[in-house]
Amino acid sequence: MNTKLKVSEISKIYPGCIANDKVSLEFGSGKIYALLGENGAGKSTLVKILSGVVKPDEGEVFLNNERIKLNSPLDAKKNNIGMVFQHFNLFETLSVFENLSIDSDKKDEDLRVLVNDILEKYNFKIDLDIPVLNLSAGQKQKVEIIRCLIRNPKVLIMDEPTSVLTEQETDDLFISLKQFSKDGILIIYITHKLKEVLSLCDEVAVMRKGKVVSVSNTIDEKIESLANKMVGENLNTIKKKINNFKNSEEILKISNLNFKSDDPYETNLNNLNLSLKKGECLGIAGISGNGQNELFQILSGEIITEGTSIMFRNKEIGKLNPRERREYLMAFSPEDRISQAAVPELKIYENVALNNFKSSNFFEKGLVNEKKIKEHTQKILSNFSVNTDNVELKSQFLSGGNLQKLIIGRELITSPELLVCFNPTWGLDVGAINYIHETLIQINEQGKSSILISTDNDELLKLSDRICVIYKGKLSKIMNADTVTAEKLGILMGGGLID
Amino acid sequence: MSFDLNFIGILIGAIMASSVPLILAASGELITERSGVLNLGVEGMMIVGAISGFALMVVTDNLFFAVVGSMMSGLIISLIFGFLTQSLLTNHVATGLALTIFGIGMSAMIGKNFVGIPGKEFPLLFVNLKESIPFLGPVFFGHSIILYFAFGLPFLTNYFLKRTKLGLIVRAVGDSPVSASNQGINVTLVRYSCILYGGAMCGLAGAYLSLIYTPQWIENMTGGRGWIALALVVFATWSPIKVLIGALIFGGITILQLHMQAVGLRIPVQLLSALPYIMTIIVLVVISRDSRKIKLNTPTSLGQIFYKEK
Repeated sequence: MNTKLKVSEISKIYPGCIANDKVSLEFGSGKIYALLGENGAGKSTLVKILSGVVKPDEGEVFLNNERIKLNSPLDAKKNNIGMVFQHFNLFETLSVFENLSIDSDKKDEDLRVLVNDILEKYNFKIDLDIPVLNLSAGQKQKVEIIRCLIRNPKVLIMDEPTSVLTEQETDDLFISLKQFSKDGILIIYITHKLKEVLSLCDEVAVMRKGKVVSVSNTIDEKIESLANKMVGENLNTIKKKINNFKNSEEILKISNLNFKSDDPYETNLNNLNLSLKKGECLGIAGISGNGQNELFQILSGEIITEGTSIMFRNKEIGKLNPRERREYLMAFSPEDRISQAAVPELKIYENVALNNFKSSNFFEKGLVNEKKIKEHTQKILSNFSVNTDNVELKSQFLSGGNLQKLIIGRELITSPELLVCFNPTWGLDVGAINYIHETLIQINEQGKSSILISTDNDELLKLSDRICVIYKGKLSKIMNADTVTAEKLGILMGGGLID
Repeated sequence: MSFDLNFIGILIGAIMASSVPLILAASGELITERSGVLNLGVEGMMIVGAISGFALMVVTDNLFFAVVGSMMSGLIISLIFGFLTQSLLTNHVATGLALTIFGIGMSAMIGKNFVGIPGKEFPLLFVNLKESIPFLGPVFFGHSIILYFAFGLPFLTNYFLKRTKLGLIVRAVGDSPVSASNQGINVTLVRYSCILYGGAMCGLAGAYLSLIYTPQWIENMTGGRGWIALALVVFATWSPIKVLIGALIFGGITILQLHMQAVGLRIPVQLLSALPYIMTIIVLVVISRDSRKIKLNTPTSLGQIFYKEK
């Protein structure tokens, strides 16, 4: 069965933004197509149009040379176009089977047989009778995929499917997708992750600011060439000059620190020792869940420890809370931007005021000095190239990259001596990642120190002066970054030993 | 007070009758809420149902028209709510409160001419059986058709939600209207239907009060029963069977405490009057402790405005 899908001159204009500008693309079954672009490049709008959720202002869609109308999701289903959304479209309180049966015309018994066949064929293991809210993200995605497969799709569109998956789940997904492709399903894979494009897809179309800027075979592309097409300018490859800090002043010292948790889902930390020099960046690698969360909270003061176990600029700070530590010129950028670092429902300037309760400028006699806070916020927005100048905007409407810039900016504008970051570029697009990396290098050049806890090894190797690995709550020995390779890190992260 | 069996049977019959308006209104509201719509206008819809049922009975002298008319009027007034919240996307809470205030005011205005007019006798079923069988007779027989309908309704509602395709769709919309819409379900239509059904049931609950329970028109005669029905739905954690249990406990303790007051027990009257509210909440909280079940029964999108992307 050969399937040809063609979109022709598709345009969609939202107030203040052209989401799709005369987009034309052709796809044929037997291949996996990547649709690559930064956040906001118009990929999601295009796939929403293909799945009938959004109507285009102009343009046509052809399936096997016939023009099809996609006025509603039902039309997409009728034309055998299946779609797995980035944010799952499942009903959490309904059982897996109910989720599948809701849009099926088949009898329950027949459907159950069909679903079991699909489960067996693709080696999926899912209990059909438990509520969806008990499933892991990877399993939920499988339910979404099964929902498409029930209808014998000709086209399967995956919108940023790996953003919520673990590495193992991602591998499983890729195996399944290749199998679907062999079975004759046309697959369109939307992503901003370059590595995935190269390892999974046959052809890649790059979108930027609503336009298709390039279509090519992935074998002709490299990570750098795709990144440049995506961002539209030549990205400078960042590589930090590694310095020797032997004679520099010691700024932070953690000695014999232990943390034992009552919560079975937390990791205990055993006998941590580390020291940090002025102007240095210490990278901490590890597979997530090995104690990074707890380590970050110990550094930020969310977990209080013995006073003497943490010395910062020769002061005991182990017992201080986050606000008090900020007064000693420490700054923190937590992993979870939406729920830990910022309050999504609050406006930008309100979020800026949140970590500055003590600032005499912001609060006078218990009253909020809005004007001062707004001026200060305006400064952060322009200094850290946050892509808005509206301080009244609710933070939830900022993209991940802009929110992270705002958070880092909020922390850095007070000129701290130490910045602790936890996965600062998680889920961001290339442009924003580059900006954050440049900023982190800059603060080291200004003689400020940083601790970078990250699960991204490339990032650690790029930015750190020294690196260590956390595994099951224990730190490895601290190594100079120029002696460390990705392989060495991999061994240590898996619990192995080197040297 | 004599404790003969027949008296207890009559007492139980009275308790059942007093819980009918609660069961009807709460079952209707339960469907509305399961679709994700929070309609706080239950009291308003009930009282409009009560006056229109009574007025139609007086004007047409036909109880069938009166009952159907009361349901229609509950439906029409809930249509206002539906139009405001679903088409004009107004806030559910504020709109529902306005609906209650509007309903109470309008019923008082219409009802002015109907105060003091005696009601008509509503036909009761199986009256001869009621008198011939001791205890069970007064419990099961000699009630109006609406009472039998009300006691069947929670089971029908449960079956509808758990076993039918339409019920599944209602639950899906209440869980996530965005996902439902992306699956091609017409969320607005589903929610409108649930709102109108809830309105009709509240209208019927009102008619039961003014045509059967106390057959006359008194201003404000629902007396907060709409609010109790709303609370029942929440404390029963959106389970129709628990709504029935809650309504019976509330009706039961209301009747019993009246008897206790009459007997002259040395318990402060205020405490006795508060007893139905306290006991109903305690019992429902205790039987609904399972947090997993609560999570599964709670309509996640309750009270959220749904806006379809264009």
